[in-house]
Amino acid sequence: MTEQERLTTLTRILSDLLGDESIELAMDTVREDIPEWDSFNYINFIVAVEAEFGIKFRIVDVESFPNVGAIVKAIGAARGR
Amino acid sequence: MLFNSYTFIFGFLPVALAGFYALGARRREWALLWLTAVSLVFYAWWRPVNVLLIAPSILVNYGLARALEQTSEARPALARAILVAGIIFNLCFLGYFKYLNFIEGALNDTFGAGFVLTQLILPLGISFITFQKIAFLVDVHGGRVSRFSLADYGLFVLFFPQLIAGPIVHYREMMPQFRAAPGRFDAENVAVGLSLFFFGLAKKLVLADPLGPLVAPLYGQAAAGVPQSMTEAWIAALGFTLQIYFDFSGYSDMALGLGRFFGIKLPVNFNSPLKATSIIDFWLRWHVSLTRFLTAYIYNPLTLNLTRRRMAKGKPIFGGRSPNIGAFVNLLAMPTMLTMLVSGIWHGAGYTYILWGALHGVLLCINHAWRLARPRIWPDTKAYRRKMVPVGFVLTFVSVVAAMVLFRAPSPSAALLLWKGMVGAYGVRLPQAVFSRLGVVAGWLTSIGVQPAWTSGSLLLATTLRIVSLLAIALLLPNTLQMLAAFEPAIGVKPAKTPPRLLHGLTWMPDRVWAVGLACVALAGILSLGELSEFLYWQF
Repeated sequence: MTEQERLTTLTRILSDLLGDESIELAMDTVREDIPEWDSFNYINFIVAVEAEFGIKFRIVDVESFPNVGAIVKAIGAARGR
Repeated sequence: MLFNSYTFIFGFLPVALAGFYALGARRREWALLWLTAVSLVFYAWWRPVNVLLIAPSILVNYGLARALEQTSEARPALARAILVAGIIFNLCFLGYFKYLNFIEGALNDTFGAGFVLTQLILPLGISFITFQKIAFLVDVHGGRVSRFSLADYGLFVLFFPQLIAGPIVHYREMMPQFRAAPGRFDAENVAVGLSLFFFGLAKKLVLADPLGPLVAPLYGQAAAGVPQSMTEAWIAALGFTLQIYFDFSGYSDMALGLGRFFGIKLPVNFNSPLKATSIIDFWLRWHVSLTRFLTAYIYNPLTLNLTRRRMAKGKPIFGGRSPNIGAFVNLLAMPTMLTMLVSGIWHGAGYTYILWGALHGVLLCINHAWRLARPRIWPDTKAYRRKMVPVGFVLTFVSVVAAMVLFRAPSPSAALLLWKGMVGAYGVRLPQAVFSRLGVVAGWLTSIGVQPAWTSGSLLLATTLRIVSLLAIALLLPNTLQMLAAFEPAIGVKPAKTPPRLLHGLTWMPDRVWAVGLACVALAGILSLGELSEFLYWQF
């Protein structure tokens, strides 16, 4: 799965979660760019991503992902393990 | 030593800076050691014995962190045990000084336990320092911090601009800055630092402090059981909200400015919280460094674990547009209430703080519930925001102001009395002087329960004018961070893509107009120095 495909999957998960079809994620998207993507929705998003890809992030990583790109990369790293 | 004292501004600070620049020109390590040393002096100034309390705690924490660093890869179970021990040690340290009396008092009240209460002296800033130490241990355990020496750790804990009342900082955002600090005089850093410092000083001394004596008698009367009319109750509520906002955000500006003198940027603490349009929004603007801490170290780990567990059991979690009551209670309401209760208890050992935390927890839950389950009658998000943002602002403002009564009131019953006053349970009182000039209207006002009172009409007028003008500043003007945005006054602050309307003429720049303006602000602040006025947050 390429990074672009992962990004598309993340976009779908977040759109479903927030009920907003207009969301477009890019590698450099940060949480502040998306209205209503607060800390609570963030955790839901993370768990949904974990379930989708069958992985588990470390809590310290969850806390410090600087942008969407970092999540995409972390998924790659976790699946590569 | 207070930031707002002659000793600090004209004695301590110039000496600290001169030494830092002089040593920095030779070796940066010396400059950093100097900074640690003056920070200890700053801390000891208040009560030298405090150093005897904080120093051992620093050493123990450093030892634990070293042990964690060595075991976290090789022996995870042992590392976990060390982490838990470290957290318990710090919480006990805080608990002994801050909560022992409260717990014993509560046991006495409830069971007649007969504990003898001893007056313990609270080491200055212990709540802030404790949180930062716990965060450091968690970060070392999680591998977010590597490579640290006792000198690094000491400076991180003691760095005097943020030592007593925050902003609460993370090691990983401070240490790279200390390592890269030029240790030399830098015109931009000093100009930005001076501006932030004097803005803060004026906010604290000119705007916040005069409100103190204005609201104190009202809370005093409420505590003595004297009902307050709507007029007094709202003055008490609005007056204290404005006092604590200008006090604490003024303190935070001063801290940012002080850090900047040394080339260090501290994190954002306030971003015009009274302009918030929802309670969630309020907590992203008020005491941001505390919200960030609680989210990172309590709320997120808790919710993540709960959500994973729930998912593993096959129960519904959040997602899509079908909010589920069980998921809401377990994954949102419970962690939110717990986090806000911790926040309340952290602020002080007292029922009012606990209730204040609980109240904000409930408000946050209501806000989340609305977001999840609000009727979808608006065609799109834009239309929804246009209609509902003003409503959200009013609801948030009133909730925040009402909750602040609990924060200031000496007891829950005093707060209750003031709340009843705010909704008009004890009528409205206007000054006799105003009443006698109203003619026929006075008779009509009396019939709806307005009473002539307040011997001084001019006092009410002056109070009202003060509160209205401060509200205008807090709600309409851009904040310090927005004015200085081009110079990154706090970590990560950048100029907004769409700057607020009023910012146009108020964008900070190093020119003559600003020099004169800031000199006036500084003068106003310095002329108000002298009276002993502590920061409200130094008690926590």
